[in-house]
Formats: sequence, structure tokens, C-alpha cells
Amino acid sequence: MTSTVQAPVFNRGIDFSKPVFILLAAVLAVLVILPLFWLMVYSFTDIDRNVTFDNFIKLVTDRAMRRSFGIAIGMAALVGILACVVATPMAWLVARTDLPYARFVRILVTASFVTPPFLGAIAWEILAAPNSGILNILYRWIFGLTDGEFLFDIYTFTGLVFAISCYTFPYVFTLVANALDRVPSDLEDASSILGAKWLTTLRRVTFPMVVPAMLAGALIAILQALTMFGSPAILALPAGFHVITTKIWSLFQYPPKLELAAAAAIPLLLLTIILLRGQKWILGRKGYTVLGGKSGAPRVTELGKFKWLAVAFVFGILCLTVIFPYLALIKTAFTETIDAPLTWESFTLKHFNFVFFEFSATRLAVFNTLLLGVLTATICTVIALVVSYLVSRKSVAGAGILGVLATAPVAIPGIVLGVGLFLSYANPTFMLYGTLWILLIAFLTIEMPAGYQQLSSAFQGVHPELEEASRILGATRLKALWQITAPMLRTSVVATWCFVFIGTIRELSATILLTTANTKLVSVIIYDLNESGDLGAISVLGLLLLVVSFIVVYIASKMPLGAGRLQPRG
Amino acid sequence: MAFVELVGLTKQFGSLAVVNKINLAIDKGNLVCLLGPSGCGKTTTLRLIAGFIEPSGGEIRVGGKRISAPGASAPPEARNMSMIFQSYALWPHMTVYENVAYGLRLRKLPKTEIRARVDEILAATKLSALGERYPSELSGGQQQRVSLARALVIKPETLLLDEPLSNLDANLREEMRFEIRRLHDEFRYTTVYVTHDQSEAMTTADLIVVMNQGIIEQSGTPEDIYQRPMSEFVARFIGGTNIFKGKKVGTDSVACAGGLVLRCASGDFADQGETAVSVRHHDILLFADKPASTDANWIAGTVTRQIYLGSHRDYLVSIPGGETVRTVAPITVAIPVGQQVWLNFPPEHCRALAH
Repeated sequence: MTSTVQAPVFNRGIDFSKPVFILLAAVLAVLVILPLFWLMVYSFTDIDRNVTFDNFIKLVTDRAMRRSFGIAIGMAALVGILACVVATPMAWLVARTDLPYARFVRILVTASFVTPPFLGAIAWEILAAPNSGILNILYRWIFGLTDGEFLFDIYTFTGLVFAISCYTFPYVFTLVANALDRVPSDLEDASSILGAKWLTTLRRVTFPMVVPAMLAGALIAILQALTMFGSPAILALPAGFHVITTKIWSLFQYPPKLELAAAAAIPLLLLTIILLRGQKWILGRKGYTVLGGKSGAPRVTELGKFKWLAVAFVFGILCLTVIFPYLALIKTAFTETIDAPLTWESFTLKHFNFVFFEFSATRLAVFNTLLLGVLTATICTVIALVVSYLVSRKSVAGAGILGVLATAPVAIPGIVLGVGLFLSYANPTFMLYGTLWILLIAFLTIEMPAGYQQLSSAFQGVHPELEEASRILGATRLKALWQITAPMLRTSVVATWCFVFIGTIRELSATILLTTANTKLVSVIIYDLNESGDLGAISVLGLLLLVVSFIVVYIASKMPLGAGRLQPRG
Repeated sequence: MAFVELVGLTKQFGSLAVVNKINLAIDKGNLVCLLGPSGCGKTTTLRLIAGFIEPSGGEIRVGGKRISAPGASAPPEARNMSMIFQSYALWPHMTVYENVAYGLRLRKLPKTEIRARVDEILAATKLSALGERYPSELSGGQQQRVSLARALVIKPETLLLDEPLSNLDANLREEMRFEIRRLHDEFRYTTVYVTHDQSEAMTTADLIVVMNQGIIEQSGTPEDIYQRPMSEFVARFIGGTNIFKGKKVGTDSVACAGGLVLRCASGDFADQGETAVSVRHHDILLFADKPASTDANWIAGTVTRQIYLGSHRDYLVSIPGGETVRTVAPITVAIPVGQQVWLNFPPEHCRALAH
């Protein structure tokens, strides 16, 4: 080994990072800033765009409007409390006790995560509508009561809180369970060795450490409830009351009051920002969050004679959130009517036939949904990938601004974005209303934060020295990216794609304001069919949505993790 | 002849100069250690040489050719250098063989030659049996050797090492120190080695460069640095030492607190202000009985701690003026705590430090 090989010869080439940076900054700025800009303009002007505060004055003086805000906030707060009360003990049982079937429980909780809330609301309509609800039919049958008697009424404020909680408690559950997984057992051992009894340790050490996770989860649940359109539209409107989101939607109905809608969206935007700030503050407090503790196996509590009580509690919850609703959807999809008995005679495929062959809107909607899902997932993943590369490797001065722009939409509720986009693009200049483009823009904006967060944490997992090692051995920046970084990120890229895809095909809050007869999506058709009461067809479409979602989740979870992973230095 | 030259090299992050106008010439085939506490600028200097960051001022020349200067730096891939990273930076999706062959494949060498050279270097680093393994299937020491093999196989003009042993346990670290020196003697690349571990630097380096707060405190052979430190920082950082402070008296003595006067055979004295005197632990002589003459370089003290360490005893002795002196004595000198002792500081081991 004496001769020295010459370093490879390079053409320095053009550095693409500057132009790419400028392009991305422009695209993201348009996605985020334009709708907010027009939202502001409309909310502070009258129909001739003269500056005025009338819209806000109308907002405050209108009793119905005030009521809808009050109801929405009350509902969201109750959802947050209910989610904590249910999810925290459940998370503890799953993460820290010898509860049987704990893995299965986690899978079912994921299932309620994947369930679009509006579909859950419809399933609960099938179960607990006062007259036609399956549970009420069973109640009347068991006790021999007459029509008109009922046990549950889902079309109430309580019913709405319940139906939303069913699909928001996983936020609390997941955060708390993860926190419990990571509380190192030495912390609890330290408490025991000092003489604390089991319950004292749980109360004084374990629980306080997961409180931030619980509160953070609760804030997200509250935020979801506050900004949700589907469930309130399905359950509250028949009950004769409004929440903020349905009120904004009603302002879009003929004759549209765009200025008022824009003004009504502003408080929702502010509330969202406050809630997210609160969440960040709670999670950001140092010393409270349990991070990367030593991987001592978490201590497991033996439930003993309480084991079956715990199983009953956990599966009771899962019955309410997943098992009953899914069974109800399956039953409705395969029988003539909701109240038809479960016999071979009542089995039918007519709803499938109707949905797939007779109902003209379906095929277009399925096509649109898949097209938008694939396009959004692909474009969003590509943009998020480049943005997180530029941000994490700081290869361009000011790259951080891209991260801020990509994260910003997280603070814009779907319906608020819907209003903003309508105002931005449904005008003679762009004429995008009624096209799939406006929906694509909406979905890209909504999904960008999630995509960016996933990929930027993936980039953080790839130690920069891995790329540098390739550079110093003679690879150009692009070559290092292609040969080293890309193969290691493959899993995360596929996972992000799937995540965005699922998010897109279930979106309703922004879609409902931007869709027209030609740009129907599956979620919108489900909502339309609900108004006409065709629950059989809804169940078929709902199951279709769920099956596609679960297949995609399954693919994402089965991605090979690549041969051998090197744990980079901590 | 200097091969790698740093001329007035400066790197600023904001208003903070992490590397401040340093000058250094490294001869071809030499192994130079950049040694210093964390945050002293040694890693930044290495990354400047590698080309991962661009200097804010000054320049770097290799073989007389300028490769780094503000606004005109060659990219890392064009420098014909190799680097060993603190995290090893082995690519988890490639086998040991693929990791090592990577640099040769980039150079588009014929397949047969790649195979021959990878086999050769794997043999030299005792990895021949592990070619088809993935990095995650190797122990820490094996990963370290793969990272060495990968860096050496391309026969770089310059080899850079960034704290390469800090992730290994103590035994392995000592073994790898000698391994690195052995491979260096075998291949004789111009090598820059960054570490904060002084014994690592002593074992491996031809030239030690002690850095502190972005500047070079002193550079010299390991013997130079240890025997003839130029500043209090270097004396403290390399090897344990006692520092006494006082005013210069006469031509070659320093009067310290508590009546201790130290005549120093070497070093620089400060004409104004304090002069520090450095005396290594093992250079101080300890006596249980009062000696005949105790005028200069002698002082009496009280034993405050004595520890048996197998090969010797470690003493702490407090002397008048509040100083505590650390010294070592043979096993046979066993003096209990609280007893009075006499300390002798031989002038040839007292080094005066002006700063």
C-alpha cells in the first residue's frame, strides 16, 4: 500500500439548495399565508371591502352565535375531561400491569384512532337513535315496551360529547401509555426503597410524572372536539343546536355571509393557537417529561383478583368505541334495514349493489378520493422531505423559516382553512372553486405539519456524521443523500406517505366548504347520504374507507426496518 | 516540510470566535494531536480541515495548495482526506465489506482491485472474518476497526480522527491507542487526531497541540508539553500538578504564601504580578523527620489524607498559607493522618510560569 489513489474528479456543479429553498419558501408561504390573509381581509371588511368592525359586533350581539360558541367550548372541555378519566387508567393498565391481552387492547385503540370520527358518530346513530337505534330496539324487546320508549338518545348534548370522546380518547391514551413505557423503573424503585407503599409510589411518583402527558393529550382531544365538523353536524343539527363549526358552515349556505363566516373563524383560530401553546408549554417543562430513561424494564403491577375487573373495564370501553360501532356498521351494511333480525333471510348485498353500481356519485367520489389521497400523500411527502433535509442540515441560511411555515398549519383548524381557501381561490382570478385543485391545496396545507414532523424526526435519527463520512470519502452532497440518507429514511418515508394518505381520505371539515357536485369525495357522500337517512349505503362506504385505511396502516407497520440498525451515539 | 498548514485560521459563530487566528504546520507523515477540554475549538479546527465548515478568516493549505479560505473552499469530497468519526458513522444498511469498499467504488476502481484492497485492509485490521456482517452485529471495538479500515483503504493523503476512542470502554481504549499508532507507523499518513484525553495524546502523537478557548496554548512533542509547559493551563491539563502562586524574588525564586520560597531551575517569571510555579505530584519528596537544612524549597505541613494505591501511596498535605499539596510516596513511607511532615521541592522540578 504505497501508491495514493487520486481523489475522484468533480465538476463542482451548481448548488441547487438556494433555488430549492426559495421555491419551497414561496410555495409554503402561499399555502399558509394566503388563506389567512383573505380571512383577515374579509373579517374586517364589509361586502365592498370597506374596513369595518361590524362583523365582530354582529358576532358578539347575535345570541345564537354566542350560544354556539358556549356549547362548543363546554362540549370540548367535557370531552377533554372524559378522555382523561377513561384513558389514563386504561393506559396504566395496559402499560404497567399484567393485564391480559394488553397488546390486543393497544391494537384496538389504534383502530379507534383510525376511525374517522364522523363515521363513529354515524355508527352511534345506528346504535342509539331514540327510535331506530339498535340498542333501543333491544331495550324495548327485552322489557316488552312500546314504540316511543327509549333508553339512549344520541341526538343530545350528552350524546355528542360521548360520541366525540370515543374517537379522541386515544390521544390521551397514546401519550400517557408512551410516557408510562418510558418512566424508568429506578424512579419507582427509589421510592419503594425509601419505604413508600405500592399505592403511595403510584400516587406520588408514577402518576405525577405522566400528568404532563395526560394534560397534553387532553388539550389535543379538546382541540379536536372544538374544531370537528362531522360529528356535531351529524348529531347536533338534528338535536337543534349548533357548535362553532356547524355555525360557520351554515353561514356558507345560501345566501352566503362570507364576511361573518370569516369573522366567526377568527376566535376558533385564536383558541387553537392558545391550546397548542399550552400543550407545548406543558410538554416543554424540563425535568417533568421523562425522556430516554435507561431501558430498565418498566415495573409491572400484578392485578391479582382485580384482573378480571380490569379486563371488564378495558373491554367495556373498547366495546363502546370500536366493537359495537363496527358491528353496527357491518350489520347495517349486510341487512335490509337496521331493525331487521340477524337471520339468513335478512342477509342482503343490495346496499353494496346500490353503492357500487346504482348510485352514480360513488364511482366518481371513490376515484376523486383515491386520486387526491395519492397526490396529496406524494407531494406532501416530497416537500416535507426536502424541507426537513434543509432544516435539519442547516444547509441554507434561514432554512429554519421553512420549518416554521411547514408547521404553522397545525394551528389552522380545517374549517377555518376551508373558509380561508374559499375566499382565496373561489374568485374570478383563480376560479378554482369546483375543481379538485382547491381540495388538493387544502389537503396539502392540512397534512404538511404532520408530514414534516414525521420526517424531521426521522432526519434527526440519521446522525449527520453518516453523511459526512460519505462526503469525506469522495461523495458529492447529492450522492451522499442518495446512497446513504435515502436508504435509511425509506421506512419513514413510506410511513409518512401512509399517514398523510389516511388523513386525506377521511378529511371532512375543510372539504365540506370546498366541495361541489363534480368534486364529491367519499367522506362528503357519506355526509350527504346521512342527511337522506340511507344508513345501509353509508355503512358500505364507511367500511370501504375503514378497510382501505387499515390496509394502508398495515403496510406501514410491516415495512422492513432494513438490515441491522446502528444506534447512533445518544 | 510542512504538508498541512493552517494560517491565521478563524471560525466565528455569530460574535463568538470558536477558532481564533491559529497557525499550525504539520509535517508530512506526522501524527498531530489536537488536545484540549470540550469547547476549546479542537473539533471545529478538524472540521475546518475536513471542509465541512468554511473558515471566517485565514486559510488552510495542503501540499502548498490553498483548499480553504472564506468564500473559496473545496468541498470535503475533493480533498482526498479520510475521517474517523466519534460515532464511527458506519452505515447500518451496508455490510462491513460494503462500508469499507464504498470509497473505492466512488473512485471507480476495477472490481478485482477493490476486492484485493478491501481484503488486505480487513486483514490488517483483523476483520477478515466479519466482512458479511452488518455494523449492528459487531462489538464496539470491531465497529471502531471497521471505521479505521474504511478510512485507510482509500490511502488518503490526510487522515482525520475525531475523538475516535471516546465510545469504547477503558480496556479497549488503551488497546486501540496502540493499534492506531501501529497502523500509523505502517502507513504513515499525515494524521490529525482530536482528543480530550491526555494519555491518548501522549501514546499516539508525534506532536501535541494544546488548545484552549480557540487558541493554541502550546505545541510540542509529548515530552516538551509534559516537562516544559509554557502556561498554568497546560501544566494543569497535562498530568497532575501542584500550582503555587507568588511574587518573584531575586533572579530565580518565587515567594509563595506561608513562607514557602521556591527556587525554579526553568521557566519564565512575571516581572509584575503573580508567577505560578508548577511541581508534579511525583516530583515532591516527603520526609517524616525534620531535615538538617530547611531554608529554600522546603516546608513543613500536616498530612490530611493518605491513600494506599498498591504501587504507591497518595498524600494530601496542608501547608501554612492554606494550600494543600498532593504528592506520592513509596509504599514503605506510611505516615498517619494528622502527623507533621516535611516536603522538599527540588529546584530542577520547579517550573515557573509567567501566565
